[in-house]
Amino acid sequence: MAQFSLNINQHNYKVDVNLDTPLLWVLRDMLGLKGTKFGCGKALCGACTVHLDGNAIRSCSFPVSAVKGKVVTIEGLSENGDHPLQQAWEEIDVPQCGYCQAGQIMSAAALLQRKPKPSEKDIDMAMSGNICRCGTYLRIKKAILAAAEKGGAK
Amino acid sequence: MSEVTKIKRRDFLKISGITGTGLILGFGLSARAGENVLTQFEPNAFLKIGADNSIVIFAKNPEIGQGVKTSLPMIIAEELEVDWNKIQVVQAGLDGRLGGQFAGGSTGIKNNWQALRTAGATGRSMLVTAAAVKWQISESECYAEQGKVKNKRNNKQFTYGELVDDASKLDVPESPGLKDPKDFKIIGTPKKGVDNHKIVTGTAEFGIDARKEGMLVAVILKCPVYGGKVTSFDDTETRKVEGVRHVVKIDARAPGQRVAGVAVVADNTWAAIKGRKALKVTWEHGEGVTESSAGINEQFNTYMSQKGSIDLRNDGDVDSAFNQSDKVLEATYEVPFLSHVPMEPMNYCADVKENECTVWGPTQVPGYVQRLAEVITGIARENITVNMTRVGGGFGRRLMGDYAADAVTISHELKLPVQVVWTREDDIQHDYFRPAGMYKLKAALDDKNKLVAWHLNASTTSRYLYRGSKDSPHTTEVFPDGFPAGFVSNFRMEYTPVKTLVPTGAWRAPGHNATAFIDQSFIDEMAHLAKKDPVDFRLEILGEEDKEMPYSDHGGPTYSTKRLKHVINVAAEKSNWYKKESGVYKGFAAHFMFGAYVAEVVTLALDSNDQPRIENVLAVVDCGIVVNKSGAESQIEGGIVDGLGAAMFGEVTIAEGMAQQDNFDTYKMIRMKDAPKIDIHIVDSQESPEGLGEMSLPMISAAYANAIFAATGKRIRKLPVKLSEVSS
Repeated sequence: MAQFSLNINQHNYKVDVNLDTPLLWVLRDMLGLKGTKFGCGKALCGACTVHLDGNAIRSCSFPVSAVKGKVVTIEGLSENGDHPLQQAWEEIDVPQCGYCQAGQIMSAAALLQRKPKPSEKDIDMAMSGNICRCGTYLRIKKAILAAAEKGGAK
Repeated sequence: MSEVTKIKRRDFLKISGITGTGLILGFGLSARAGENVLTQFEPNAFLKIGADNSIVIFAKNPEIGQGVKTSLPMIIAEELEVDWNKIQVVQAGLDGRLGGQFAGGSTGIKNNWQALRTAGATGRSMLVTAAAVKWQISESECYAEQGKVKNKRNNKQFTYGELVDDASKLDVPESPGLKDPKDFKIIGTPKKGVDNHKIVTGTAEFGIDARKEGMLVAVILKCPVYGGKVTSFDDTETRKVEGVRHVVKIDARAPGQRVAGVAVVADNTWAAIKGRKALKVTWEHGEGVTESSAGINEQFNTYMSQKGSIDLRNDGDVDSAFNQSDKVLEATYEVPFLSHVPMEPMNYCADVKENECTVWGPTQVPGYVQRLAEVITGIARENITVNMTRVGGGFGRRLMGDYAADAVTISHELKLPVQVVWTREDDIQHDYFRPAGMYKLKAALDDKNKLVAWHLNASTTSRYLYRGSKDSPHTTEVFPDGFPAGFVSNFRMEYTPVKTLVPTGAWRAPGHNATAFIDQSFIDEMAHLAKKDPVDFRLEILGEEDKEMPYSDHGGPTYSTKRLKHVINVAAEKSNWYKKESGVYKGFAAHFMFGAYVAEVVTLALDSNDQPRIENVLAVVDCGIVVNKSGAESQIEGGIVDGLGAAMFGEVTIAEGMAQQDNFDTYKMIRMKDAPKIDIHIVDSQESPEGLGEMSLPMISAAYANAIFAATGKRIRKLPVKLSEVSS
């Protein structure tokens, strides 16, 4: 066990956990931030995507001991749940089961920060690490384009 | 809210239940007159209206992504005549008053349509009566509109909230008048998912999120070989892992709870996962270790060369028809095991106490989970509470209660509340796969190139046989009344099940996900043999006269050739089917299942490496009345993407009694770049509503394979498609 200081969604937390604990389980089991989902445990499906200093990372395979920087999860993406991507997701009625969507939105948000006006190909590339078994990919793409149109980088 | 709770509520809850035929409303316990002021009107268990005009509608069925948490309340809201934006939808738990509560067979809308309309109309009718009594006018002089009852004489109005007290004192009408469908304001419009905001902000509660403060987490090591048992285990290292509290061997204690194993129970998920890694178990593998895909295929091959063990249909005389024809084609098709892999891995919570028990988590079958808990704990069913969370995907996997039974077993053993969590590796290894199958087809044309004989000899790893059902093993594997049966004068269908320890279960569009591929591909083969256009060939078989064809499977008792021909014709027209363009290749497929008619066209082009690349998919769907237009289109789109993914990548193989795939690196899924553009056309229909969770999926593999044939001349008879083998 070791103590770690984490900055998550602009709050400072101190956790006492094993060195090898993936960030995912710290978020979900220790801090009660359950919006980040467990899907595969091997960085293959993207359900656990969060931001580390603005970059999308797969928290299921990212040991807490390696977290050096600011973490943002779906709960902290916007103050009032009104990030342009969140609004577009609601407006276009993207979710089916909804389980993968937090990870999808976090991947998309990292893309728009890097590339505010992505092409469809950019979107395909950036979203290729996120699986949706319900098959909502087309609406996801539509929502990303709509959010980009409205200045989704913010 | 606090004001409401301060005022005592008169016990006026009316008890309702749904039988197969409809809603029965009864009276609750009588109230002591004059005791209380009412604050709520609850004409039945589906809805309640507060004096403050708050309207709560209960969502009765498990929400697995098929959209019923939105669409079922829409039906109630429509008949109740309220503003959709002013209602609150609340997920119900398992509650006998609500009728059957499960997610399976795309039946949510179809089975509840009448009962939910009646439930909403009952509330509206009683509110109208209450207003009429207050105004001392006839009910026909009042009407309900958007949460108010209005007086036609003088434009006076009462809000529903102002009427709850009076309405609650009325008898429940036996058959309240339903709306004329032309007056529908909510049904048929696009409504967004009621949990969308929670989902996009990470606050929607799925089963895996529903572990309560202080509960332990159990991760189970199960025998990797199907049917194996625990001989002994050594937990010395496991108990050294910080956070591990208990290590307990569990045995199957209920039917369907197939796998014994050793559970590592810890303070948190990671400790349980680490503890399991450190566990040493000696297994008795049993005969399961001999199971393999190669062995199963060998059996399939043997059965293909023999008469089937079950004769399912024998019209005319196929053998003499084949002898008399000089245009006979024979082909063998194959489909692999598929895994369900819903994005939320299996998990479930149980809190078993001395004489009562509460269970909750993601399931398609809350009633079945209750029965399992009763068998495992011996606690009477009425003392077992089942709550429902959102479900991160079902696809048939959560029709099985194995993982819930594990949670109940561990909680019962330890006398502690626990959550069982499976990893993705557990999920794939211990899945109940879509059965693998082999299908030998033979068909003949007459001298006018008309289809005169059709013979299917099929063998699959029957899921009904696997679960020891009394029903015939061909159930949900092949469909003796499915097209083109009944249209071909010489028609034969035979079937032989393969018995295996490899678990099989229902996978989205069970059976159809294989038969639509083989039937709609082989029809295409026969059309080419007949030198006829594939669409024309189908229409020729269906005939000009409109018929109701007998159909003894789910979705029957008949299906309409008129509606099937209509979706075929519309799909041909909307896809410019008959227009030939160079470099553009099209594949067609159409299928009836579960009451709905779907035709799909895949358009593809060849890329610079001569590899087929889908440009577009068109789907034409007739599912009767559509409740939620946005939800319907989502289901159609999702089914196509999912079906294409399975056709492109899905395959589980077995060796030495184990699945050789265990995560998304080996079990490949479709990703965004491979999801094509999809155009959807829903037939405007006033026929009774059907579901849509499965019906767009099964024929897409055939439409895709037929398009590949059009582009490359290579016929796909085995899934998944190996594109490297079909470059033109």
